[in-house]
Amino acid sequence: MTFIEILTNSFPVLMQGLRMTLIISISSILFAMVIGLVVSLMRLSGVKVLDLISKTYVDIIRGTPLIIQAFFLYFGVPDLLNIRIDNLTAGIIIMSLNAGAYMSEVFRGGILSVPYGQTEAARSLGLSNAKTMRKVIIPQAVKNMVPAFVNQMIISLKDTSLLSVIGLGELTQRGQIVVAATYNSFEIYFIIGVMYFILIKFISLLGDYVERKLKI
Amino acid sequence: MISVTGLKKRFGDLEVLKGIDLSVRNGEVLCIIGPSGSGKSTLLRCLNGLEDINDGHILIEGKDITNQKLDINKIRENIGMVFQSFNLFPHMNVKSNITLAPVELGLLSKADADKRAIELLKKVGLSDKADTMPSKLSGGQQQRVAIARALAMNPNIMLFDEPTSALDPEMVGEVLQVMKELAKEGMTMVVVTHEMGFAKEVSDRVIFMDDGYIVEENIPLELFSNPKEKRTKDFLNKVLI
Repeated sequence: MTFIEILTNSFPVLMQGLRMTLIISISSILFAMVIGLVVSLMRLSGVKVLDLISKTYVDIIRGTPLIIQAFFLYFGVPDLLNIRIDNLTAGIIIMSLNAGAYMSEVFRGGILSVPYGQTEAARSLGLSNAKTMRKVIIPQAVKNMVPAFVNQMIISLKDTSLLSVIGLGELTQRGQIVVAATYNSFEIYFIIGVMYFILIKFISLLGDYVERKLKI
Repeated sequence: MISVTGLKKRFGDLEVLKGIDLSVRNGEVLCIIGPSGSGKSTLLRCLNGLEDINDGHILIEGKDITNQKLDINKIRENIGMVFQSFNLFPHMNVKSNITLAPVELGLLSKADADKRAIELLKKVGLSDKADTMPSKLSGGQQQRVAIARALAMNPNIMLFDEPTSALDPEMVGEVLQVMKELAKEGMTMVVVTHEMGFAKEVSDRVIFMDDGYIVEENIPLELFSNPKEKRTKDFLNKVLI
């Protein structure tokens, strides 16, 4: 079989996988943004309990491998509670919680990068803490955190390939199935690599564009 | 009217204000001078609650701002503050910097706030800069916008924290000129400054601070030409050449 034949034969299956990868990546990055923002604001709130909760969460996620988190949530927790959870739901929950922890640090870094004088100026005009955050700090923070944010998006996208261990039919898992059936491991893994690469290049370019747009 | 009694402030183990009593009348221009680390900026920052205090009371128009139940944001609406490093919002143009607070706090409609911003910019001599981003302005221009921004809230009191210290020498004059006009209009002003000329010419009263205490206070003529305390004399000898 020529390379072209292998490509055309495997393409429909791989595209299915790519679709799944995109579904998981996009939904979990969106959830992760919400989680990240809430957790970073909890850490910056100055309220001890909230700070402790969010710190513990970030510590646990950062301190354990994603693959263990996936096993734990997909096999461990359902076993303990005697429930069933489908692997797409489990996958999205894991990726959201995982990326959310890292995102919270990206957001926190972005917020802390805005000079304290900005907060003082806004507060001395009579603006509340919440309004100061919304109108003055976060708009500036967003600009500073674009590079780290894009970085985390890319890492999360690549990490979805680890979800093949819970049988989720994303790009890597589909590829493994094709290889198992055809033994064309060189060609298939090469094609998958190129597909990831194109996707990630696209995200990088999008990031560059946003960065340019946000420059004053 | 500002009235401070027994004010103490510590940063960790370091006591920077060691018992300050002070009152400022309506319409008065008070300058605070003194060496670095004497506590003058901290005192100013206590007056609008930017610093929590450890002891004492601060009354702004009869309201004790150290009272936890009081809405400090309401008090701050009435006290403008101008910072050494301007602290303009870099992501907004000049006009939006000025209109943000009055619009957000529901004091003015967007249209009225815009009109007010134009008036204020005229007053500080920057009518043509409404749509400019702060990064395109010189230090002196930025500080004048910062003054306009504070005035947009229509405060009764203005606090100035070394407003000309970060400026190139040739830009100091334009900022002081705006402050002089404000003083002439009867604004109550508390100014922490190293500009002895300004203190002499514009203020009604000068306070000399050192090491967390008010060492001496007097009308400018007396304090500058006839200081009573040794520490005041030493300081003035160093700054007035």
